[in-house]
Amino acid sequence: MVIRVLRKFALHVLDDGTRKPSSQLDFFRDFLSKHKYVYTQDFEENLVVLKRKHLVDSFLVTNLDGSIVVSSEGNGHTEGIMGTAMLSYIKSELPDSESVLIKRNDSWFMLFPLNKKVFIVKAGSELSNIELRALAFELDGLLHINRAKQTEKEAKKVSESA
Amino acid sequence: MARIIAIASGKGGTGKTTITANLGIALSKLGQKVLLVDGDVAMANLSLILGMQSSPITLHDVLLGEAQVRDAIYDGPEGVRFIPSGLSLDNYKRVDSERLSGIISQVSEEYDFILLDVAAGIEKNVLSALSASQETLMVTMPTSPAIADALKTKIVAQRLGSKVIGVVINFVMNEKGEITKNDISNMLELPVYGSVPYDPEVRKSFMQEKVSPVIVRKPDSLASVEVMKIASRITGLKAPEMQAKRKGFFEKLFSLFRKK
Repeated sequence: MVIRVLRKFALHVLDDGTRKPSSQLDFFRDFLSKHKYVYTQDFEENLVVLKRKHLVDSFLVTNLDGSIVVSSEGNGHTEGIMGTAMLSYIKSELPDSESVLIKRNDSWFMLFPLNKKVFIVKAGSELSNIELRALAFELDGLLHINRAKQTEKEAKKVSESA
Repeated sequence: MARIIAIASGKGGTGKTTITANLGIALSKLGQKVLLVDGDVAMANLSLILGMQSSPITLHDVLLGEAQVRDAIYDGPEGVRFIPSGLSLDNYKRVDSERLSGIISQVSEEYDFILLDVAAGIEKNVLSALSASQETLMVTMPTSPAIADALKTKIVAQRLGSKVIGVVINFVMNEKGEITKNDISNMLELPVYGSVPYDPEVRKSFMQEKVSPVIVRKPDSLASVEVMKIASRITGLKAPEMQAKRKGFFEKLFSLFRKK
């Protein structure tokens, strides 16, 4: 009773109705939990994580001749050949160009060359050059790790068979 | 090779530029070679906080390719060095902020720490500054809009490959209902590097004939002492024993008369 009276006094006379905004804090916690990007040992799973992290629909990595290194969707031969041809043409006309962005219907195709490979990204909205580079570097890093694992596996197989 | 740390918040008005200036000086006081870079190319004001507004060559000139980075480095307070951004709006429109990363790497060998003051928001200039850094230190306030923007900035920094190392909570008043240090740490999933109290001395530092950061003008103020602790935490070096000077009753009373 006394506490209630004191609380009312505080609220009305001292205007002290301050409370921690708990519902907003819960909302933030929920928001962050949806943006957790943890890589696993599985390369295919990591590609899905990367897609979610950079908010893109799909990506494709090709060699400079258009042959596919990796595809998030498991296909993309046409896009690979078209993308590398387009990049090669633009590079011949504008040697200093860093990336190519193409708007087609409702989506964007973005081409970014890195370490003798072409990174082709498809997304609903365009990525800045900085974001595109960050995605390419991260994907290139994953490819390196995956290649190292595969080499290790093969070496193990050879040693076991020997 | 310098540790390149972006100081970012997402929301404007969190005091991130003030923290950058004071933290840079605190690191310098700990014997570190420090370069401060005003990465807010649109709304540059780190130079105003350092009291060094008249710099003939700025980051704008370097980003435009019209000057060398070393020509845009100036001596700041307490041995800190500083690259200001220009105040000109004409130059700002022509600036290519994507070159920032390359410019910083030209001088990174010469410093222990390069602190990049990042603009508010998540526009191109912000992305450039975040991607030019290896690490990001968040600055926020104990209010929900500031925390929401810090969350988004953290996600963007991670996307760009910058490791978010921790958070500094600024303008802490320890009032009832204020979001606590633990809440912020849990929500952002980051360690708290420091809780800088609301300190009128910070504001007073701008009300001087010659503006200088609070850590220079009042090194024993509450905010200065906390910033020294943050510098100590970042470097792992022990900060000199400093006790914030609290005003006694009579001092407070006399200061009232002094104002008049």
